Parts: sequence; structure tokens; C-alpha cells
Amino acid sequence: MNAAFRRWLPCITLAAWSAILLISWATGHMRSLLTPDFRIGAVAAGIVMGLMALVFLLFPADAACCSAAECGHSFFKSSAGKVITFLILLLPITAAAMFNKDSYSANVIKNTIAVTDATQLGFKPRNTPIAPVDMPLPTKNDPNNAPATAQTTPAAQTTPPAPAQTAQASQQPPAPQDYLQRTPDGHIVAEVLDLLYAAQDNALRKDFEGKPVELIGQLMPDATNNPNGKRFKAVRMFMTCCAADARPVAVLAESGDKPSLPEMTWIKITGTATFPVENGKRIAILKADKVEKCNPPEETMLY
Amino acid sequence: MLADLPIWLPDFAHTFLSVLFEGIPFLLLGSLISGFVDVFISSERIARLLPKNETLSILICGWLGMIFPMCECGSVVVIRRFIKKGLPLSSAVTYMLSTPIVSPIVALSTFAAFKGQQAWEMTILRLCFGFGVAVIIGFIVQRIPASSILVAGTMGEATGRRRAGLSVATAPPSGSVDFSGMAQSASFGQKMLLATQSATADFLDVTFFLIIGTVIAAAFKTAINQSAILPFATNTPVAIVALMILRSALSICSTTDAFIIATFRTFPFAAKLAALVFGPLFDFKLFWLYSMLFKKRAVIALGIGLFIGIFLVCWRIAPFFMAQKPF
Repeated sequence: MNAAFRRWLPCITLAAWSAILLISWATGHMRSLLTPDFRIGAVAAGIVMGLMALVFLLFPADAACCSAAECGHSFFKSSAGKVITFLILLLPITAAAMFNKDSYSANVIKNTIAVTDATQLGFKPRNTPIAPVDMPLPTKNDPNNAPATAQTTPAAQTTPPAPAQTAQASQQPPAPQDYLQRTPDGHIVAEVLDLLYAAQDNALRKDFEGKPVELIGQLMPDATNNPNGKRFKAVRMFMTCCAADARPVAVLAESGDKPSLPEMTWIKITGTATFPVENGKRIAILKADKVEKCNPPEETMLY
Repeated sequence: MLADLPIWLPDFAHTFLSVLFEGIPFLLLGSLISGFVDVFISSERIARLLPKNETLSILICGWLGMIFPMCECGSVVVIRRFIKKGLPLSSAVTYMLSTPIVSPIVALSTFAAFKGQQAWEMTILRLCFGFGVAVIIGFIVQRIPASSILVAGTMGEATGRRRAGLSVATAPPSGSVDFSGMAQSASFGQKMLLATQSATADFLDVTFFLIIGTVIAAAFKTAINQSAILPFATNTPVAIVALMILRSALSICSTTDAFIIATFRTFPFAAKLAALVFGPLFDFKLFWLYSMLFKKRAVIALGIGLFIGIFLVCWRIAPFFMAQKPF
């Protein structure tokens, strides 16, 4: 029995954890859980744990420190709790992997105060453009106006750049066509964060204000800033490190016909970006011409 | 306040997995380093490196975790060995208290977890504060006779006990071996095997507590309306006390606790700092582990002293960190 606890249970536990980590990465589930920086560590941990499981599989653990008097490892020492310990190490993670739906429900968004003002984020996310005040970001129509410190905008890409790409981008002045990706019918492809920052940043606002915009988010009702009852929110979850620190960020949208879709439905809004001042604060409102159901984006989380 | 189970279960699973996936690489790295230090570097060698001057030794032991990092569970085992080898109790206690915080792995994980939440300030303050507290406790211990702190038999044969599901038996089990002696006389291949086994034991041992802590943190994140805890978060002294108690109750490893504490975004910076300094020094599991070495009275006094001291300092510095930096 002791051999089982010293050798086989650690082996099985390590192998199971390794499998869950690596399968989660291979199937893409990890994308909704961690930012790219942390995915590397999780995959490496999965590989290392697999190798450690192999060590236990191939070599008997008859000389482990847990045979020694000074050992303090409770996992191996506790006679009564060994099976319970083993179950706690395995069952919750296995069950969580089964129940995980790769996204949060409306319940979490309701329980968390959604960020509709970029200043509440307290910092600039990695993909947010840094533009000098009063200097507009270059667009396709304005190729000679490239600020030296500008980075790629979130709107300019469907997937976030790798860290190396971001570093490279910050060293070289990007080509004008890198900015403000547009749909074939001329709409600027924007993210929720683009419009939130545009509301606070004079330079960025000039690139969006009054222009046709296409934006994808999850439909949520707006109960706090809805004087005529025609407003709703396009919500995305924004994470800094992992899904546990994710916060909902939302842009207000306004349309004549309120969309009759269930909460949290992924919607594509096409319309015009406006930035009115309400209650002494400038906010972003997307005047929607069309709201339609769409598939979730490849990266459901913003970071 | 609690949502229906079927609704929040997927959310709970999502949060639970994300915290685990984020923290596990750091915990594994810490365990591997701990396992290899355990086998390849003897406690005698570390003791030989320390100066004869006890005060200087305390100061050096306060930073020793940067070279020989060890999680709080491992450090208790290590200093027990140190004390047996004749290292002054004050230096051993300083190392025991500082190494869970003053370590490159903890610095790295704290910085990563608090990215976007004054990460530099949190990392530097956590390490410096941890060092300061450990050194102060070391100087206090220097002035107290070891016999009034240590459990009888710590220096010699042990007593063996078992508390709260944690077997902290100090008595040699039948057929037990001298691990230190075995590690020193082993071949390189055997040492690698021993190090892997020791690291695995560390990893699984601490992961057990990490899972329990993550369950509580995930439940907190998904099942509780954040507005319900705002009164705790907005009142600074209450927030400090609440997070210190919560961190101790979670009993999570210092290499990963930053990832959980960082999720309490509504709480002030000072409360998070207090939790991240107090937790690795004194939590639920450490109470039982410390009791292996120290008299119960000394352990309780240590806990109360640390709690009050860290609370007061963090409350005092709280106004300097009230506002998040604007972008």
C-alpha cells in the first residue's frame, strides 16, 4: 500500500495534471483562461509534470525523502488522509475541466461592475495605441502622419500580436495600412476598448468620431444610462493575466429597434461612433444602423 | 447573494481553472528548485557560508531566500535541519520567515500577478517588508533563550504528533532513513531521482492547499455579488483585516498567492500588501507546521505580533497608495 501511495498516486496525479494542461492548450481552451504570456508557462508545466510522472513510472520511489525522519510532506505521511488528499488533487480540476464553458455567463457580468469609462482601467492595455495628445493617429487616408511612438491598434488586428511582434512594432514606425482595419464596405473594425479609449483621448477620438464602425460584443441590457430605453451594451471581458481577473468592459449602443436577442448573445453592430458628453463626462455611444447575431470571435477575451 | 448552482458552476469552473493554470507553473518551479536545493546543497554548506557574528548572520539570512529559495512549507523542514546542525535559532527563524517572501520566484509571480495594478510597487514593497519583518523577529528571538521557544526534543529525538489532517510526525517511522546522509552519498543519477521525488512531494503537498484556496477564491469571484463586499473594500482598516484573515484561511503557497489576491481588485493596495506579507508568515497550515518546532505559546505570540504589526504598518502607508495611477 505504501508503494502505491509513494509511487503510483503521485505518478497518476502528475500524469493527469499534465494531460489536462496539454489537452487544454491543444484544443484551444487555454485561450479563454490565460493571456499568451502565461500560456507558455502552463504548457511548460504540463510537459515537466509529464516528465516527472515518467520518473515515478520508471523508477521505484523506495528512497524518497518521505522515508526519512525529517520529512514534512503531509501528502505522503498522513495515513488516514492519503486517499482524500489524492481525490482533492484530482477531482476538482477534472470536474472543472468538464464544466468549463470557456466564457463567463451574464451572472458574472451582472455581479461585476462593468467598465464603461477607460479611466477605470487605471492603465493602458498592451494593445492600446499611445498617441501624443492632439496628434491624430494615422489612418489609411492620412499616410504621412505616423507618430514615432505609435503601436498597432487593437482595431488593426483580429488577433493580438505576440510580445515579440509588439516589441518590434514599437521600434519601427508602422506602415499606414497597419492602422484601422476596415471591412469591404468601409466600416472601421473596432474593439470595445478602442471606443472607450477614444472617449478619453482627443487624438484617438478623431479617428473614430462620426465614422462608420463595426464592433463585436455580447449583448447586455443597460440599466444605468438609458434615458429613452433604446440603449444596450456591447460587452467584452478584459483580462490582465487570467480569466479570474477579467472584468467586463462595455460600450453603449443605441438603436431604434432594441435587439430582441437573449442576453450574452454575440452580436455584430454596424453604425456610427459618437462621443457625446453626458453628466459632465464624455462617453462612447455607437449609433447602430444594424445589429445582427454573429459567431464569437476567435479570441473571446480582450487583453 | 448566491446564484443558482447550475448557473454559476461553469463560471466557477472557468475561474478555478484559470487561477490554477496561472499559478501551477510558479508552484512547480518553486518545488523543483526546493527539491534540488534539498538534495544538492546540504544545510551544513549553507551554515558554513554564514558569518560567526549573529547580528550579521540574521541580516544575511533575511536575504538568503534570493539564493536558496524555499516555500514556507519547505522552509520549516529546512530550518529544523539547520537548528540540528547548530545554526543559531535567530538566524534560522529569520531564514524561515523571509524565504517564503524574499525569493526570486515570489518576486516574479507577484510582478506577473499585479501587472497593471502597481506591480513594481507591490513587488518591491512585499520583498522589503517581508525582509524587515523577518529580521525584526530574528532580533527578538536573539534575545530570548531557545529553550523557552523550542519544543522539547527538537534538538534531539522527536515526539511525533498529528493535527488537523496534517501529519507532522517528527518521530522517525520504523525503517526510516537518514535522507540528508543518503543524498550526500548518492550518485548524480540517484540525486536527480531524489530531487525529483522531493520536488514532487513538495508540489503535491502545497497544491493540495492551493486547490482549497482556489476553490474559495473562485467561489468569491463568481457566486458573490461584488457590490456586497464593497463595504469591506472601501473601508481601509476593515479591508486590511479582511484580506489578511482571508489569505491566512486560504493557506496558499507564497509562490502563487499573488495571483489569488490580485483578483480582489476592489480592495485597496495596502490590504493586498498586508495579505501578501502576513499570509506567507502565518497561515492556517503554518500554525500546525510551526508547532512542530516551537511551543504553542510562542507560535500564538508570533501570530498575534505579526498580525498587529503588519496591520499597523499597512494602515499607515495606505494613504500613499489609495489612487491607481492614471494612464
